Amino acid sequence: MTSSSVTTRAVATQRQWLAPLIWFILLLSLAAGMSQLEWLFRLLEPELRQVIYRRGDFLALLGRHVLVVAIASLLAVILGVGAAVAVTREAGRDFLPLVAQLASIGQTFPPVAVLALAVPALGFGTLPIIVALLLYGLLPIVRNTLAGIGSIDPDVHEAARGMGMTPRQILRQVELPLAAPFILAGIRTSVTINIATAALGATVGASNLGDPIISGIVNGNTAYIVQGALLIGLLSLTVDSIFERLQRRP
Amino acid sequence: MGVNRQSPNWVLLSLMLVSVVAWLFLDALNVAPNRIVPGTPYTSLEVMGGWPALLLGLPLLGVAVLAWQPSRKGLQCSLAVVVAVLMLLPLWLAAATVGFVDADAPQARVGIGSALWLLLFLLLLAVIELRTRLGVSRAKGWLLFMPMLASWWLALTLWLEPLALVREYRVRSDQFASAVYTHLMLVGAAVGVSLLLAAVLVLVMRRQPAVRRIGFAALNFLQTIPSLALFGLLLAPLAWLGSRIDWLGNMGVSGIGWAPAFLALLGYSLLPMVRNIFVALEEVDAGVIESARGMGMSRRQVFVQVRLPLALPVVLEGVRITTIQAIGLTAVAALIGAGGLGTFIFQGLGQAAMDMVLLGALPIIALALVADALIGALSERLRLGGAQ
Repeated sequence: MTSSSVTTRAVATQRQWLAPLIWFILLLSLAAGMSQLEWLFRLLEPELRQVIYRRGDFLALLGRHVLVVAIASLLAVILGVGAAVAVTREAGRDFLPLVAQLASIGQTFPPVAVLALAVPALGFGTLPIIVALLLYGLLPIVRNTLAGIGSIDPDVHEAARGMGMTPRQILRQVELPLAAPFILAGIRTSVTINIATAALGATVGASNLGDPIISGIVNGNTAYIVQGALLIGLLSLTVDSIFERLQRRP
Repeated sequence: MGVNRQSPNWVLLSLMLVSVVAWLFLDALNVAPNRIVPGTPYTSLEVMGGWPALLLGLPLLGVAVLAWQPSRKGLQCSLAVVVAVLMLLPLWLAAATVGFVDADAPQARVGIGSALWLLLFLLLLAVIELRTRLGVSRAKGWLLFMPMLASWWLALTLWLEPLALVREYRVRSDQFASAVYTHLMLVGAAVGVSLLLAAVLVLVMRRQPAVRRIGFAALNFLQTIPSLALFGLLLAPLAWLGSRIDWLGNMGVSGIGWAPAFLALLGYSLLPMVRNIFVALEEVDAGVIESARGMGMSRRQVFVQVRLPLALPVVLEGVRITTIQAIGLTAVAALIGAGGLGTFIFQGLGQAAMDMVLLGALPIIALALVADALIGALSERLRLGGAQ
């Protein structure tokens, strides 16, 4: 490999990460420098005394939003992929039809309703949101993992066994890599929904980027709403462009 | 089916055992003297001397025994038992409620506890499992839920007056009716208009590759923005438009209300609709089109008589996804004053009145399930019709 081809590849890689990077920088600088834009929001609400949301630092709100979504999504990935793998093994195959049906029926439940039901069961605060996000986020991951493993040609399986691979090796070296694009697509769906639903968590007592929006609606302050909405929008675009990039990897 | 008679049905077995344990040992009911005071929880064994609860639990243990060596007959028996227990549950609740409230004040309200919710959930899973094992057809599968629904309806209208959920409903039955109406209208309008718009958009996209690229990119972009943020972002320009342009303001366009809700719903609905219509039209077998052309059909005839009917099931799938998504998003729209069932959810959360939250959330879930079932059945019918 010549040095010039290494450089071109590095440049190409850099360029592919450009979109996520731009969104991310925009997100961070807006969260850090929102108060610099006071003159702009002043145009939106000229009569109000306060036009910058001050009840929480935007960076802290962003951090908490990301943290809740990250914890819920990580658990959903572990449990979801785990469950889908378990029901496609010999020992767990009995559970496959039920789990597959549950994953598809569950997805017709609106995420708001799931969030709302978590509150009577678990109370107000961050915990019910994490549980609701986790439960709802599981479904697309389980469904896609099952679809991914199901899409593998039985001949491939046969060949792997013929080569003397153990079931564990087949899972790790054949099934999971082949199902990876499906799983990644499931995780993307799951995280996208989670970012949106977490914002609604502000109505059940969590403090995150949904807070300025809810507070703005309650107080009739459009500037607050726009601040929250811009940050949530940028956050989802950042995360989505990262997934876009990951999915394009050959 | 090649089921080995010796191997137990672990799914059914575990569902039944967990059901019985949950039913007997978790809180089944919660009785409060009024809306504000927190209630006292009771397990099912503390209600009416406990024997009715045991009577409901025993058949479930029987199903667990049958599941140890499942045969087709045994599974059919189990299905009958599970459906019967599901039917008896509301009657048990009604009997328990009547017993409790006569002794207490007329303001008393009964809440449903975790045992009852869990039992309901696990038994519904058991029905789904048995339905799959026995290969019950989709239409007959829905009939299995009818006895349960009928018995809930009977209990709710006749005896379950003191149920907290019913009390919440009675106070605002007019509001509830108009919320359901608003919810359905918003969903219907968004789905209907997006279907028309998407059809036009797809027809243009099929001619113009550039429009296709930009269109899909824009719709994908929109779909990524969380609903709360999009509702928020639409608020400012619409408030401005509503206050500056008189006839828009007279129509009710403002930052708050139906206008931003409808626009946002429309935006979200377009992507699944456009994608499905596009894929549906593209995926019609080229050979079929070729032979239709060969039979001397004009381009127009091919489109109307061949391509469109063949594409219809996939289009309907798009309508299904869009409808379900819109039902959920309309709930969020309540936050910006669009009305609908979400109003109860957010008001309930604000007042920490959990039964009011349920009054909003349960009908939303029911609407989504019904829409899913109806459109699913319709597209299955079309698919079969196409195959014959």
